[in-house]
Amino acid sequence: MKWLELVTVAGATLVSALVVVTLYSLGVRLTAIAGDTTAARPRSVKYLAFACFGLCGLAVLFGLYLIIPYFGA
Amino acid sequence: MVALVIALALFFDFTNGFHDTANAMATPIATGAIKPKTAVALAAILNLVGAFLSTEVAKTVSGGIIREGTDGVQITPEIIFAGLMGAVLWNMITWLKGLPSSSSHALFGGLIGAAIAGIGFSAVNFETLMQKVILPAVFAPLIAGLVAYLCTRLAYSLTSRHDPETGDKLTQKRGGFRTGQIFTSSLVALAHGTNDAQKTMGIITLVLIAAGTQEAGTGPQFWVISACALAIAIGTYSGGWRIIRTMGSGLTEVKPAQGFAAETSTASAILASSHLGFALSTTQVASGSVIGSGLGRKGTSVRWGTAGRIAIGWLFTLPAAGIVGALTAVLVGTGTVGVVIAAVAGFAAVTYMLLHSRKSSVGSHNAVEVESAGQAVRFRKKKSMKSKGTKAKGTQS
Repeated sequence: MKWLELVTVAGATLVSALVVVTLYSLGVRLTAIAGDTTAARPRSVKYLAFACFGLCGLAVLFGLYLIIPYFGA
Repeated sequence: MVALVIALALFFDFTNGFHDTANAMATPIATGAIKPKTAVALAAILNLVGAFLSTEVAKTVSGGIIREGTDGVQITPEIIFAGLMGAVLWNMITWLKGLPSSSSHALFGGLIGAAIAGIGFSAVNFETLMQKVILPAVFAPLIAGLVAYLCTRLAYSLTSRHDPETGDKLTQKRGGFRTGQIFTSSLVALAHGTNDAQKTMGIITLVLIAAGTQEAGTGPQFWVISACALAIAIGTYSGGWRIIRTMGSGLTEVKPAQGFAAETSTASAILASSHLGFALSTTQVASGSVIGSGLGRKGTSVRWGTAGRIAIGWLFTLPAAGIVGALTAVLVGTGTVGVVIAAVAGFAAVTYMLLHSRKSSVGSHNAVEVESAGQAVRFRKKKSMKSKGTKAKGTQS
């Protein structure tokens, strides 16, 4: 049976989706904090937000890189 | 005969794009993340690209489910023609009725039905069928749903903001997810290309093998890949226009954060399984994700009736397409006259359905299939946090 492959698919789905969602959510959250007018926030928060979005994008690209046979071979 | 089958296969690919991909772009259009025209064009292009990325699924279809080659039974282009006819007709019927059925299962059902009627039970490799089609069909929506549930919970908990002193809710500012949806829905469209366009490639390869113009056990040829990629892209593009027309009628209430989580799960589930050669149904995965992410939001409950109706629709797809495929196979088995009758009847049925669809009003019920999956989850009515969403919706209508 292909149970192992099925578990692989489930695991890969879970890990990749969670990584992307976590990074993106952190980015959204940090952007929100950076946009707060009530308190003066250090500018670094904004950069941290960008870093999160950037990492998220990289994670997606890395996933695609793993899949596309052109690079894998 | 081979040319006829290839034409029919490409038409099936077209209906597939027409039928399915719009689902990927429906949510971002609804939340105002992306302009409808751009969304449809993007989906079409990404399907085209996705089709070129991987050919694992095509290999599963062309080399496994039906035993071909010397040790198996001789599969003829006629059988494939009959199977495709079953798939195309069932696809058109469900599209007309707005059932969230799977194009992939229609295809497999049609082929299996045709093979059984034309050759016998020995023609079908039930073990491969079980491993590569049935099991993924059961588990993929569950996996996608579970992952979407977790992701939605995660996205909401990471972005929920409370005042540290009073404990009051601050403005949540989840607008960023709307932008993110552009990317996630693009990924879904790409994933659709890697999985669904492959099925037609597999079929055409199967025909070429059956006709003796290609070695058994080899992958799809380049022109086959290009033709399938184009067909699904054109289908996506033309199907998308229906969606745009219906956007005014309102979709299930999907929040950007929720849509983001659902789409991420859908895309990763499809990409992961395409990579391993599982031919699963995009529609089913997307439906699973939508339901899962709906459950992940606070204050929701499942409408089990609607969910059950969807599940029954899934169960019916394979046998129903199989019956149409089997009938066509019997007709085709009578000789050239049968082939002509089947082709003419099929063409007439498709034309009739297309004409009929023009007459009937297009609503979100028959344009967006995953919509009914969204309806399976009941949302608590909430009026806060919507100002941004409605503003964005207003500007593009």
